[in-house]
Amino acid sequence: MLRPEEMTRTVIVGSMDGLDPTVECLYELGILHLIDFTNPGEDFKLGQPLPSASDASQKLLKLRSMIRALELEGHKPEAKLPTDEIESKLQQALVTLDLNTAAKVETKQKIVALIRERESEIRALEPFQTLEIPVEEFEGYESISVFSGTTKVDPTESAQERLKGYELFVDRLKGTFAVILFVSNDEKAEATKVLSDAGFQEIKVPKRTGHPATIISKDRTEISEFEKDLARIEDDIEAIRKKFADFIVASEENLSIEVLKAETPLRFAASANSFVVDGWIPAAKFGELQAALESVCGGRSFVEVIQPEEDETPPTKLKNPKPVGPFELFISMVSSPKYDEIDPTLMLFITFPLFFGFMIGDLGFGAGLTAGGLLIVWKVKGSPDLRRLGMIIFAGGLVASIFGLFVFAEAFGIPFHPPVETPDEPSWESVGYIPIHPAIDKMHDVNELLALSMLAGWAHLSVGLFFGFANAYHHSKKHAFAKVGWLLILLGLFEETMAIAGDATATSGFINSTLFSIFPANAIEVAGISLAIPAIVLILIGIAILPITEGPFALTEVTGIFTNLISYARLAALAVGKGGMALAFNTMLFPLIFESGNIAVAILGLIVLVVAQLFFVFFLGALSTGIQAIRLNYVEFFLKFFEGGGTEFSPLRYQRKYSMVSE
Amino acid sequence: MDIGTGLALVGAGIAIGVAGLGTGVAQGQVGAAAVGATAEDPKMFVRGMIFMVLPETIVILGFVIAFFLFGKA
Repeated sequence: MLRPEEMTRTVIVGSMDGLDPTVECLYELGILHLIDFTNPGEDFKLGQPLPSASDASQKLLKLRSMIRALELEGHKPEAKLPTDEIESKLQQALVTLDLNTAAKVETKQKIVALIRERESEIRALEPFQTLEIPVEEFEGYESISVFSGTTKVDPTESAQERLKGYELFVDRLKGTFAVILFVSNDEKAEATKVLSDAGFQEIKVPKRTGHPATIISKDRTEISEFEKDLARIEDDIEAIRKKFADFIVASEENLSIEVLKAETPLRFAASANSFVVDGWIPAAKFGELQAALESVCGGRSFVEVIQPEEDETPPTKLKNPKPVGPFELFISMVSSPKYDEIDPTLMLFITFPLFFGFMIGDLGFGAGLTAGGLLIVWKVKGSPDLRRLGMIIFAGGLVASIFGLFVFAEAFGIPFHPPVETPDEPSWESVGYIPIHPAIDKMHDVNELLALSMLAGWAHLSVGLFFGFANAYHHSKKHAFAKVGWLLILLGLFEETMAIAGDATATSGFINSTLFSIFPANAIEVAGISLAIPAIVLILIGIAILPITEGPFALTEVTGIFTNLISYARLAALAVGKGGMALAFNTMLFPLIFESGNIAVAILGLIVLVVAQLFFVFFLGALSTGIQAIRLNYVEFFLKFFEGGGTEFSPLRYQRKYSMVSE
Repeated sequence: MDIGTGLALVGAGIAIGVAGLGTGVAQGQVGAAAVGATAEDPKMFVRGMIFMVLPETIVILGFVIAFFLFGKA
């Protein structure tokens, strides 16, 4: 559980005629993490792809272009197609599709282009259709320049003032003016200025003949003709799509797998008559591989265990029981642990829901999160990561409900019973009597929450340092010993916090009378703070260990471990903050709902309350709580031991979604 | 309520308020850089988040001090 799966280094050797079945066998088993062969020499060269590769990849290319042409990207067939059906029909289907689709798709594209061309002509001519000037007269003069376009203001007056030899046609449109200006070439520059002052935008008219209005109406008739053709062709394409879509997608998948398999020997070492496959497999699966190769290849390939070189590290395959599995998501977001590192998933499984539940600590919101998590797991099918997140939310919500029910005794920010300090506070007593009383009152026992947070922090960090000790032990006893120093400092700091708290909280009272009862209870007073002598001694011994083991610079990090411990105060802070927020909304809005005497005001108040609780307390609360709970793990906990950077175990295998191997 | 208590409460407010401001300023800058880094390489997400939340310790310290002052008042 705390260690990744044990790996064995294996070599599979076989004669060339056993290559095909061996590759097939390896993909079926899906347990070999292949090590690519990278240094070809005299005897061994890179392997050649299987003979089926080139044919399969050609077909695959065709299918993929078909998928693009028929816009089948993202199409999901409902039923899986058997592979023998795919293979028997593929050749025929490709020919049929080639004949039908290619021509139709090309025609469709041509028609679409023609329609676009007509439409842009209409757009260009539309402003001038009432001016009654034939389009061919817009150009082709030697001494006259023509401007056609639109302006923001009417240029008639400024043209009169500033131009001499010109003819101007203006038509008022919606918000703009359509303008055609004929002007002698020597006044071209001035005309440009006049027009640009009026906010001129040029429109290039198409090379046609006739009045704009006539051309436009002709274009419109043509477009409607084209659209009829387009609809016909689209119907044809749709028919092809309906008939072949499932088949195309399934055979694309099948061929991709074919090509993947056929190209795998490129990663093997091969001589003229034999091949060598090098890789890692889970130690427990060795027998399975051996038996499979024997039965499939019938003695044409053999598998051996070899001793890995010093510098070769096996890939990491996390091995956790089923309920712990979803929490591997948090590890995959950082990096895979190295093969010889401790896998912290189990600790995340314990601490994340605990921290999360402690901070939310409310039966109502907890139940909501539990239901939300279940809903994600139930409804989301496509994304495994999202499903894992759903499981995590479910676990967190469950623990939050338990905390809410038995420890804080409240639901939706409303306590089961009014606190002794504020007997008038609204509570569930007005609805019904719940025979559970809070062990800790969020609003009034903040000391208790803080003491519990410190206890959680000390325990969590200590486990982190223990893991660090275990990780370092094999490489360097000195570095492992440094962790002992840190553990002593941490214990000293924890004792000091508990000594300051004294008997003020039940937690510190309990810890002082059990864990720390072995130490003498001597204390000195420095600047008004009571310092426990055993705590000081522990910290000093720890500090003395650091320079010998980690070097003098480690001393600068001693304050760091103090802030690490204090950092867990966020558990209390968020619990109080969330409780306070819910209480504030309730206190503000309950009088409106229950005491206003006006049904409209009461309903409005209820809506505001529900929205505020749902958004601020439930949604944002769960989000920030989740981030804080994972942050305590990533920052405080992981940095005590986790290095990461391992290679993830990725065996040769494939996944069929739309096709299935026939019996 | 005597003046001493009032001052202690004001102090508690200042402790958490100013610590919050400090965290905000630091986190804003780190956060902007972290978002940039994550946009370029999604693998930077966790490292970005770790840097992003480091300044939060400041406001937690503020919270603890404010809490002790609150207890004294």
